[in-house]
Amino acid sequence: MLKLEAEKEFIKHISQHELMLYKVCRVYAYNDADRQDLFQEIVIQLWKAYPKFNGDSKISTWLYRVALNTAISGLRKKKNLIRSYEPASMPEPAGEHDPQYSEEERLQQLYYAIEQLNAVEKAIVMLYMEDRSYEEMEDILGLSQGNLRVKMNRIKEKLRQLTKNY
Amino acid sequence: MELDDLKQTWNQNQSTKPLNTDIMELIQHKSYGPLAALKKAFRKQIVLMAIIPAYFIILNVDNPDALLNNVILWSYIAFCLGVIIFSYYNYRIVNKMEGMDHMVKVNLEQQVDLLEKRMKWKKTALMFALIFFILLIEIVPYFQHYRMLDKWHSLPAAIRYLVYAGLFVLQYFANTFVNERRYGRHLKYLKELVKEMQ
Repeated sequence: MLKLEAEKEFIKHISQHELMLYKVCRVYAYNDADRQDLFQEIVIQLWKAYPKFNGDSKISTWLYRVALNTAISGLRKKKNLIRSYEPASMPEPAGEHDPQYSEEERLQQLYYAIEQLNAVEKAIVMLYMEDRSYEEMEDILGLSQGNLRVKMNRIKEKLRQLTKNY
Repeated sequence: MELDDLKQTWNQNQSTKPLNTDIMELIQHKSYGPLAALKKAFRKQIVLMAIIPAYFIILNVDNPDALLNNVILWSYIAFCLGVIIFSYYNYRIVNKMEGMDHMVKVNLEQQVDLLEKRMKWKKTALMFALIFFILLIEIVPYFQHYRMLDKWHSLPAAIRYLVYAGLFVLQYFANTFVNERRYGRHLKYLKELVKEMQ
């Protein structure tokens, strides 16, 4: 009975934040199969960690921690032992002044640029884009707010360089 | 391209949905994370270290006197027990780490520490085990006679010591190779991330 209630509550929490989980998968995995594997792994890790969740932090903070830890630690394919993801190559530029160049396309270019960042930078930029406060980012990543601000500025510059042709 | 200009689009974007989002079905699957891999390795080690001595005991069960007085076998069982205890201790640590709900930096540091300690302990334990068994092979024939050991002792001491030295070198390189193949790349990746977080 208790297990059933816990399962229901767990599903409710996941459903409320599923978009955030999809974005973690989008940022850290580069094809549908890898995204599915990563999503499955995140859900398993969340379920394992769920009994330890005591509400000390916000549910979103807790979800981000588990999801990012899982994504950053990488997945192990059955025969390849432990492996880390390799990003795809940057697509051909479309031209920022092209009238057809929509917000959606710019977002896709941003995703490709993010692929070139390392795993920690990806986490920082993702939390920034999700409009998380520096205080919450500190609570998720374990980096001081000052350090996060410095890193964020560097990442912005890096992304600017990576997308300057777009 | 300015990040802040894209924030709204980012938050409105539905992102690619994985094919299977059935939570209850997904949690029935087994984990393929690095911690699950370590847990599996420890479990395998425990089972193997329990099966091999059991096999030798069963093999000699018809001759209980010889079994009880077999110094080499009991030394080997003691060694296996040590490995089982060490593996179980590590297994529990990894089990506690699973779920990964710590801050990302803490989690990465824990994983690096665990892997480094495991590799260091394994290296030391294997070295001591080899020294222990070499001493055993050298000393036992003075008290008990085994056909194989007597044959081995009929060889000149210089050849025996040369083989022992060869075993040390082989063990060192084999262990380094296995560690590098299994955990080296991942450990390097984790260390780079920890450095990045300083």
